[in-house]
Parts: sequence; C-alpha cells; structure tokens
Amino acid sequence: LKASDSLSFLLSLQAEMSRPVQARRLEGIDKNIWVEFVKLAATYSKVNLGQGFPDFPAPDFVTEAFTRALSGGNHMLHQYTRGFGHPPLVKVLAQFYEKLLGRDLDPMTNVMVTVGAYQALFCCFQALVDEGDEVIIIEPFFDCYEPMVKMAGGTPVFVPLRLNPPKDGKLMSSANWQLDPAELASKFNERTKAIVLNSPNNPLGKVFSRGELGLIAELCVKHDVLCISDEVYEWLVYDGKQHIRMASMQGMWDRTVIIGSAGKTFSVTGWKVGWAVGPDRLLQHLRTVHQNSVYHCATIAQEAMAEGFQRELMLYGKPESYFVQLPKELQQKRDWLVQSLDAVGMKPIVPEGTYFLVADISQFKSDVPDVPNSDEPYDYRFAKWMVKNKGLAAIPLSAFYSEAHKNNHTNFIRFCFAKEEATLKAANDILQKWKQEKTSS
Amino acid sequence: VEFTKVAADPSIVNLGQGLPDISPPSYVKEELAKVAAVDRLNQYTRGFGHPSLVKALSQVYERVFGRKIDPLTDILVTVGAYGSLFSTIQALIEEGDEVIIIEPFYDCYEPMVKMAGAKPVFIPLRCKNDGNSASSADWVLDHAELANKFNSKTKAIILNTPHNPIGKVFTREELQVIADLCIKHDTLCISDEVYEWLVYKGNKHIKIATLPGMWERTVTIGSAGKTYSVTGWKLGWSIGPEYLIKHLQVVHQNTLYTCPTPLQEALAQAFWIDYKRMDDPDCYFYSLSRELESKRDRMAQLLEEAGLKPVIPDGGYFMIVDVSTLNVDLSDVDEKQPYDYKFVKWMIASKKLSAIPLSAFCGPETKKQFEKYIRFCFIKKDSTLDAAEVILKNWNKQTD
Repeated sequence: LKASDSLSFLLSLQAEMSRPVQARRLEGIDKNIWVEFVKLAATYSKVNLGQGFPDFPAPDFVTEAFTRALSGGNHMLHQYTRGFGHPPLVKVLAQFYEKLLGRDLDPMTNVMVTVGAYQALFCCFQALVDEGDEVIIIEPFFDCYEPMVKMAGGTPVFVPLRLNPPKDGKLMSSANWQLDPAELASKFNERTKAIVLNSPNNPLGKVFSRGELGLIAELCVKHDVLCISDEVYEWLVYDGKQHIRMASMQGMWDRTVIIGSAGKTFSVTGWKVGWAVGPDRLLQHLRTVHQNSVYHCATIAQEAMAEGFQRELMLYGKPESYFVQLPKELQQKRDWLVQSLDAVGMKPIVPEGTYFLVADISQFKSDVPDVPNSDEPYDYRFAKWMVKNKGLAAIPLSAFYSEAHKNNHTNFIRFCFAKEEATLKAANDILQKWKQEKTSS
Repeated sequence: VEFTKVAADPSIVNLGQGLPDISPPSYVKEELAKVAAVDRLNQYTRGFGHPSLVKALSQVYERVFGRKIDPLTDILVTVGAYGSLFSTIQALIEEGDEVIIIEPFYDCYEPMVKMAGAKPVFIPLRCKNDGNSASSADWVLDHAELANKFNSKTKAIILNTPHNPIGKVFTREELQVIADLCIKHDTLCISDEVYEWLVYKGNKHIKIATLPGMWERTVTIGSAGKTYSVTGWKLGWSIGPEYLIKHLQVVHQNTLYTCPTPLQEALAQAFWIDYKRMDDPDCYFYSLSRELESKRDRMAQLLEEAGLKPVIPDGGYFMIVDVSTLNVDLSDVDEKQPYDYKFVKWMIASKKLSAIPLSAFCGPETKKQFEKYIRFCFIKKDSTLDAAEVILKNWNKQTD
C-alpha cells in the first residue's frame, strides 16, 4: 500500500458516507406523533387513554380461531400464502361486502389484504397519487394521510370541519362539526386527484350523514376525483346511527377504494390485518404497489381472521354478533367517560362513532402556563404535562391538523375509551382529584 | 407471481417457489401457541420493532457482527426481508441514483429500484470454467467489469450472499473487492443475507459489514422466514448504523407503522432459545443447514442421474440446473419467450414437476446467458423429494 492509500484507508475505517444519504421523499415526513407520545405513555402513564387500542381482551372466538389454526397440524400455515390475500379471507370479505354494498364482488380482483389498514392507505397513495396531484384531506385527520400524500409526491389540500356550537347549553356532538359546502367545493380543481374520507372520523367521532356524503360524492363525480374511504371504525356507531358507505352512493363505486381493519373490527390491533375493497381498475394498481413493497401478509393471522368473519357472516344482524355487541359495550363506555369529563369541567364532544372522544380542556389551562412564541401548540404541552404530572395519557388534537392549522384548536385533547371499566374508573379518579386540587387551591 | 399460480396444482411436484414444506421446529410453533394466550400481545407494539424481539436480535447479532448493536437505533423490524429491502431502497435511493445489481438477482430488486426512481445497473456473475460449472463457486464477478459499473451516480450496490438463485457464498476476497469499490466511490451496500445460516461444509458466511470501513455504509438484511422455516410469518430486519437505520424507520412509520405483535414475541422467544445454544451444534442455525446439506446432495444426485447438470450450491436452499444437455426441442412453441420459460412450462405440463426459469432473475441483456438454467428449491420434506425422484428416474424413459 502506498502511504496515501494507507491514510485514506485509515480515515475510511470510521467514516460515515460523506454524500447525503436519505432520499428526498423523506423530507418533512420524519416527525411522528405516535413515536413521541407512545414513549411518553410507556414511561409516565398510570392510565393510558392515548393511543387507540383496546385494553380489554380480544373476543374469545377470534383467539380460539388463532389457537385452532396453530394446533391444527397444518404446518403450511407457517408458510407464504397468496400475496394479494389468503384465499379463505378474501372470499369471506367479498361475501361480506357483497351483502353490505348490494353488488357482486370477485374475491381475487375486488379485495386485497394488507398489513393493517395503514398499509392499505399507503398502497392507495402510492398507486393513485403522483407528483402534481392534489389530495383533499378533511381536518382533523388521522395523522398519516398528510405524510403519505407527500411521500407519493402529491400536495395535500386541507378543508376543515367547522364547529357549529349547539344551542341551549347542550353537550357538543361530533355532528356539530361540519364541512362548509362552498368551502369544500372551492378546494376541487383540475389537479385534484383524490379526496380522503374517514367516516366514522378519528379523532372527532363524526359519522358523516347521507347528505354530507352526497355533497362529497357530487363533487367527486363532477371533477372526476377518486375517493379513498377509510372506514376502519365502520362497526363502531352509536345511538342507532347508521354507517353509510361512500361506495354505495350514486356514481361512487367505480371511483372509491374502501379501507377496513381487522384490528378495529375484532379488537386485535396487534395482528395488523387490513384490506382494500374496490373496482379492479383501481385495485390492480394497489396490487402492483403491494407486490413491490411487502408482497405477502402473515398467513396465520389471515386464517384466524377468515374464521372470525365467517362466524360474523352467519350471525350478521343477530344480537350475538360481535358487530352488534361491541358497539353496545362501547356506547356505555362512551357515556361513562362523557359524564366523567363533564362532571370535572372538561367539555366533551360526544362522538357518534369510533372509540375516541375529544374534550375541551380550557378550564384546566391554569395548571399549564402558556409559553408565548412556543413552537409547540398549547395542547401538546398540556398533554405532555398531564401524562407526566397526573399519569393520564391523552393525545393533543393539534396532532390531527396540518402544520399551518395546528393553532386553530389548541384547547382540545383526544381520549380513547376502548378500555376496561377499571381503566375508565381510574381515569375518573385522577380527574376528580385534579378538580378538587383546583377548587381547593 | 406468475409461477406460483401454475404450481398451486397439488398434482404437480413443486420445487419452484422458495418455500419450505418441512415443518418449522416444534419450539417455534409452541412459542406462537403460548403467545396466543397472552391478551396484551393482541394489541399494537413498538413501531420499529417489538422490544423483546429487537433485544434478542441485538444479542444474536452482536455475536455475529462482533460489535455492539443498539436494539432501538440500529435495528428495524419489517414485514419480511422483502419489507426491509423496500424500506432501505425507499429511504436511501432516489431519482438520479444508480444501483448496481448482480445478476442473476432475486427478482424484486429491479422493480424496487425503479419504483424509487433510480436506474438499475446490472453486472452478471460469469461462469469461470467456460460454461462447465459444477459448483456455485465457479460463478464469479469480473473485477474490471465491476469497477467499470461504479461512477459518481452509484448510490448503492445490492449484495446477496448466500446467493439466490445460484447458492454462491461470496468469499472474503470477493467481498473485499466490492468493499474497496464501495469505499472508493462512497457507495452504500445493501446486503441481503437472508440465507446467512444456510452454508454447507467447507464454506463460511462472511458479513460484508464486518470488513474495515463497511459497517458505516452497509444495511444488512435478515429473515425469520428463512432462519426458522416460517416464511408465512413475514418478519425480517435491517441492521446497520443509526444514521442509516433512522431513515428506514421514517419510511416504516409512513408505510405500515408496526408489524404484528404475537409473531414478533414468539420469534423473540425462539431466538432466546437458540441464542443460549449458539456454541452448541444443536442450535437450529446450524442443525438446519446440516439437514439441508443432505437434501442438497440427494437432489444433485437425482438430477445428474436424469442427465441434467446441477450447479452444486455452497449455500442457500436453491440449486440451478443446466437443462440444455437434454436437448429438448421447444422451437415449435410459438412464443418469444426465453428457452428456460418454455422448458419449465413444458416440464410442468409433461413431467408434473415445477421449477423457476433463471431468466426470471436477469435483466434484459443477460437473458441469453442464463436461459439454459432452471432453479430448483430443495427445502422440501422427504416425501416431496421421493416424488421428485420418481419423476426424475422415469424422465428418460418417457422422452424416448
């Protein structure tokens, strides 16, 4: 080796790459609320009403299906299955959605299984959104929509749900949050490729009415726009309300991808099984993305999920159906938490669906001083303070707003109520104690 | 995707797609059965990897790499090694980049590089014995040819060792040549090492990330599916320096966020069992390769007896076979397809035996070079190999 070779050799031993390493598509999408808040909850919380997952057990028939699959002696369940979805699962999903949509579906071309609804969303944006495309996102929104649109090279265009406060001292409802029709229409133009609809809506719990869906549908048809319809909470609707599927609206089947989630449907968020349902002309492109990103989803989870759905198909509409029982149970928990928050002075927005509720914490602000010119929205600081000092974890509503609009609603935090009675009671105890401390000080 | 459909027919002996039909070790299945009873494992876990799994992986790989590996910053758990390849390429490759791919290659590399907007640059392994290859070690890169493929636009090279489909296990010297070029041109190395435990007698798997100057520019990819014969669990991992892995984590949090919890927990437990016996020959990491070596040898013998020319792999669970020696005339098959595609279709239809044509693993320029080869998978139970034996023994009788 020449002397110069030795030197550069030695220098190279510890050297990181000197050229920029990361791809430009990662610009502006590196922050993630969950990474931060999940860590905080894990470190500090005694009662976790933050991240959206149940702390009650998954239903027996689902865990039993899993165990049966394992003990069945078919060890091929530990090997790859069909990439676009395990045949028994896509078959029963097709049957289910045929019933719900009133149209014939081909399990092989109209259904695709994904690693959670999250990956179905990713496939939609990658498949259908290109540089130069605009995608309309309704605020507040499940936070991943924005970075996913950006990663696909698209431009997110935001339109807010606006609060029309109820009259005569009634509690706010998620139904009081509405789109302004003229404002919505103004967001559509020739660059608009898609609109993301999330109903029932996370974080507000809003269940879009037929009229509201009709408004969106008309604009989609008029401007030839696709609809990415995130319906993961489709079974969690309360007070006798009905979840209406956008794909069943006039002119919408051909331009809509429906996204669903086993995690939310069967209270098994950790299994990460989701799906996309739609016309072949759209699904074929999702399949292309899927086969070039993950290709297959875990076989055993799909096998167990197929059995779960088969049971629900048989019990559809009957009182023993999990899709009937779960929302009943959750409605009670919702009402309990609403009462609990109202009693201490946090003003809840009663959700029509999902297992989230958002509450106005204005009356508790004195505990967390405002910091002028802070780059963090107030509710972020409030939520962090609350988990560290009160041991109660919740998520700031600004997490569900675009950067530009984070300061629009900084007095709200989101609670998840898919929790055991004991958890909700413990949350109530913390809140009661906190209120007492405030009144006595 | 094409060929898995054709071979789903149960009357066909399937030596095509790379999936085991042997059972995973019983303790692996038992661990999964145990986690089914633990309720909190049915809910979300840490996005970048279940804590007990990344801890187990860091312990095992600290031994293998010979360096400290931080479970939280140096590891990402993904949906199979496939997901790791995708995360790495999406994180670190973009328009304007060139990525060197060694042919034949696992077929997803090319579309993934293209999807990231980059240009794949191919370089073939060439048989040094003028086409008469008895071993995967005969297939080598031409050093001058390789050096010529590197330029200022070269962002990465994808290395696969042990290699699918040939079964080549790159030697330290061969890895050093690649490493020198990566350092000289400030290039990344994406090292697909899913078959890392499957190396046969006389061979050693060497991690390119352990060569001087390479840890800081290599992402090493592994697979539970290949390690434990559980391809259907779809769990893999990327290991590397924090400043690279953090970008993969950003991709992950924007694509699927987290992998299934129960499978990760069961995998962690399986890893602990084998970690404790890493000095013991009974460790599954070593016992599986011993089991596969005898299957490899049996498969090779059967193929030779049928008049085919197998290339004996030093690693992995695939074997490529030169079928030109049979002189099966398929010129009347009116398709513009390469010979090996036509041969496999003919073999499936007339012999009820499936394999994968090697040109499926090549770029457009080299299809001619590889179209006389097909790939067999030998991680199959005895009854499958017995059925293959019957077909191969009767092969020549039927063609007369």
